[in-house]
Amino acid sequence: MSPAPRPYTLVAELTYRCPLRCVYCSNPIDFARTRKELSTGDWRRAFSDAASLGVVQLHLSGGEPMLRDDLCELIAHARACDLYTNLITGGTLIDEDKLRGFREAGLEHIQLSIQGASPEAAEKVAGVRSHQKKLEVARLVTAMGFPFTLNVVIHRLNIGEVPALIDLALELGAQRLELANTQFYAWGAVNRGALMPTGEQYQRAQGVAVDAIAKHRGRLEIAFVQNDYLSGEPKPCMGGWGRSYMCINPVGEVLPCHAAKVIPGLEFESVRERNLADIWRDSPGLNTFRGDTWMLEPCRSCERKDVDFGGCRCQAFMLAGNASEADPICRLSPHRAAVTSALDAAASDELIYRDVHNSRRLSAV
Amino acid sequence: MDAQEPWRPRLASRARLKFDAIAQQEMLLFPEATLLLNETGAAIVKLCDGARSIEEIVDGLAEQFRGVDRATLRREVDSFLASIRARGLLQ
Repeated sequence: MSPAPRPYTLVAELTYRCPLRCVYCSNPIDFARTRKELSTGDWRRAFSDAASLGVVQLHLSGGEPMLRDDLCELIAHARACDLYTNLITGGTLIDEDKLRGFREAGLEHIQLSIQGASPEAAEKVAGVRSHQKKLEVARLVTAMGFPFTLNVVIHRLNIGEVPALIDLALELGAQRLELANTQFYAWGAVNRGALMPTGEQYQRAQGVAVDAIAKHRGRLEIAFVQNDYLSGEPKPCMGGWGRSYMCINPVGEVLPCHAAKVIPGLEFESVRERNLADIWRDSPGLNTFRGDTWMLEPCRSCERKDVDFGGCRCQAFMLAGNASEADPICRLSPHRAAVTSALDAAASDELIYRDVHNSRRLSAV
Repeated sequence: MDAQEPWRPRLASRARLKFDAIAQQEMLLFPEATLLLNETGAAIVKLCDGARSIEEIVDGLAEQFRGVDRATLRREVDSFLASIRARGLLQ
């Protein structure tokens, strides 16, 4: 087997605890079963080992990472490892003192999420009152000179607000705006019927974004993350499975992406039991879809197999029932009907909030 | 920008230059990407200190790359700065 590729990015999901209840959350449905989070020492060792392996970018994520009491210590340690350190937060627990602590610890960038441009749309999705506080925090972050990205997950309930969200990002002083169309995994998949926009809504929002990207270039960078159901383009998920990106979940399992545990039968290992370099190289779960020997037709002989890697393995499992199949987003997939019927069925109004109660209910055996 | 004052580019606060020991190369780090820089790119970024104008950056480069003509260096500086400026990495 060829040597393991160099990882560049680590997403550290420090906790699944979160004060918000966002209906599109990417945390696993059964997050409430999580028992013992990694200790401070476990995370410190993981960051050091990641840096030795070649990781240069660290995203401190969750859940809400602010709920970790050791966050400042972890930031400081990440900087000592020379990792570019980004905090991904919902913002509701941030105040000036906390930001001062982060600055001293060396935090380099903050990615703050909001759920919409208007409090009504935003809080319907977040499931708790939070919008006003987030705007105050965004202004504080700018006033204190932190570079920041405003992140908004886009779906049917807020897609009409895209122009207002661009104005808001400019007003708040963000350097970057992520208009991230919902990815349909975990809670996003549970709520797919209520979150899927129409093709027409999507085209319109994309048009607005494309114009704004050109208009604000050099001042506000705007990223429009595709909805692959509607774009029809399989995504080169994570730039290839186990290639340049790793995710470590709150209990230390090393994953190719935050969704991968949805695929049954894959064996992932925890940094509690084994060191990161060995896991990265040997983990059966990481090796399963590295390279292209696992591919079936039409991927195996496809000229785009090194471009999109057959799309997303998790989506292939979720929509075609087999993680080795082509992602059914692809027009060459024999399971394409799973995508078209999902689009036809997208008309629900029911929202299932991401909280402990629903997690227990949906994951009860 | 004041029309009388030349632009004196400086790396945006969200970007950081790092020498990567594995690749033995300078890297430009920012939240959503990592750019591996060639020797010229790295030299240009180091000269973007907010004090030097474009002309002065070309001067600085000319000292490091003797034997390369000034017009070539100027083109390199212009095209490199345009590319990273478009990504919001200069202020």
